[in-house]
Amino acid sequence: MTRDQRRADGQPTKQVGIAEYAVVTDDTQLSTSGVGSCLGIVLQDGFSDVSGLIHVMLPTAAESRDGNPAKFVDTGLPLLIEEMVEAGASKRRLEGWVVGGSEMLSFSSDGDSIGSRNIAAAKQAFDHYSIDVAGTDVGGSHGRSIRFDPANGSVVIQTADDNTTQTI
Amino acid sequence: MKVDIRELGQFNHLASQGAERAAKSLSQLAGVQMDVDVTDVSLVTETVLAETFTDRSFVGVEVGLEGGLEGETVLAFERERAVKLQDLLMGVTDNGDSEERLAKSSVTELGNIMIGGFIDGWANHLDTAINMTPPRYTEANGPRILPDQAIEAAKKHGVFLFESKLTGMDTDLDFSLYMLPEYRQFVQLLSGNDQGNQIPVNRLSTFEELAKEGAGNAAGQIGMMTGLDTNVDVSRLRFVPLGGVPKQVGNDQFVGVVFELTGLPSGYLVVLFGEESATTIANAMMPGGGAEDEIGEMTEGAIKELGNIMTSGFIDGWANVLQTSIEHSPPNFVHDMGESIMSPVVGKLGQQQDYAFVIDSTIEIDGNTGQCDIYALPNERELARALSALPARD
Repeated sequence: MTRDQRRADGQPTKQVGIAEYAVVTDDTQLSTSGVGSCLGIVLQDGFSDVSGLIHVMLPTAAESRDGNPAKFVDTGLPLLIEEMVEAGASKRRLEGWVVGGSEMLSFSSDGDSIGSRNIAAAKQAFDHYSIDVAGTDVGGSHGRSIRFDPANGSVVIQTADDNTTQTI
Repeated sequence: MKVDIRELGQFNHLASQGAERAAKSLSQLAGVQMDVDVTDVSLVTETVLAETFTDRSFVGVEVGLEGGLEGETVLAFERERAVKLQDLLMGVTDNGDSEERLAKSSVTELGNIMIGGFIDGWANHLDTAINMTPPRYTEANGPRILPDQAIEAAKKHGVFLFESKLTGMDTDLDFSLYMLPEYRQFVQLLSGNDQGNQIPVNRLSTFEELAKEGAGNAAGQIGMMTGLDTNVDVSRLRFVPLGGVPKQVGNDQFVGVVFELTGLPSGYLVVLFGEESATTIANAMMPGGGAEDEIGEMTEGAIKELGNIMTSGFIDGWANVLQTSIEHSPPNFVHDMGESIMSPVVGKLGQQQDYAFVIDSTIEIDGNTGQCDIYALPNERELARALSALPARD
């Protein structure tokens, strides 16, 4: 369930929820909030003006009982790429940003945390699809909100710590 | 009779899609962009209905359902929101005559179209026709906005309440779509064939006990530790798609603690305070101690200690109802945006399930000065198992 919004500056924004993704072919901004141990992955083919954002929860579909492919890094990323190619993107021209994967909670029953496993899975998937990494902001122990502006290919990240934003 | 929790998930999905279609109709008819926040379903008793709707004044459109799905659907606006919608519709219809009557009929017509969109997917899924009775415009205070049959059913055995919240994207307009299927037929529809996911239907009312016992104990502990008055405001068990859980919590800044539960059922317990409430609580717990204006070590220590005690109380309440033993981990302190705090919790649950039972309790502290929200998210299959294992009772 993505939603369209128009901000005060008139720039439309598509809001992407957990285990959802969206692809745009214009300057509509893509945004997602509540990125803790989850990952927000942005892909763009700047030449064809196709951009996509997916908010994945877990590294691999194999370790889960069932579910929607957009929930996992290893099934979500190909889904996003496929949709972007249908919209006119070229796989070879894709570059990407990876944000999130923090370790907010630690429990004794944990092996590696979900956050670090998500980051590892994203690295592997980027290698597999030969996607250039344009920027990352991962790890730590805080949550993030992401906004991607296709017009200038920048990802703005907001964290709760003193409410700062940074751009990658 | 048993219900299959995966069927409940399927119906939740239908309701959520239906609400999306209803939102689309509204934007086509009135030019208002609406977003469907969350769709949840809960089995509620008369008490919970009263608590949920109390002290509010509603305007609504009611449509009866017959055939493959029997029951009632109500589109309800709080009164002041309805005035806003009427204004929007008047702008569209552009007719100044007999304003009130026109607005009523427009709202009724709008409700009818939205409810039609909402019900479409259900008929497809059930592969049968669902007939809608003519829409009825209603106005009422509190739970009387719901049909009498539903309130009667809630008294007897509880009623399934589907709720989709719709919020305006660029206008200050929000309302809820409620679906109250006829209890017996709906329970039939929910009966699946996977033994591991089934809960005996007469145990569903135990959910409310779980919510009440847990929150009541936790509120008592806040009172003992701080000397402040506490009151459990609303306590309800909802069945929500995992992705909807963070949205329910919202993206304000919260201070709190997260616990992992082990035993039957396992799961997670999240105790959240608004920043101001956290400071109030910490200061009340340490009278004469160095008061903090911001969230620092003292507040962290106080919230962890209080969270520990509240959680023990909460799960003792559960253990009593379920007659099982449940343990909790040491507290994980969190101070972050609400949606981010829930992200690792739904991530962990997401390894096993797509939906979550969320027991959501609000505790009012010292009148209206503070608030604490408790979210309990048990492993759904283990909860089903624990409920099924309870000895029969009348």
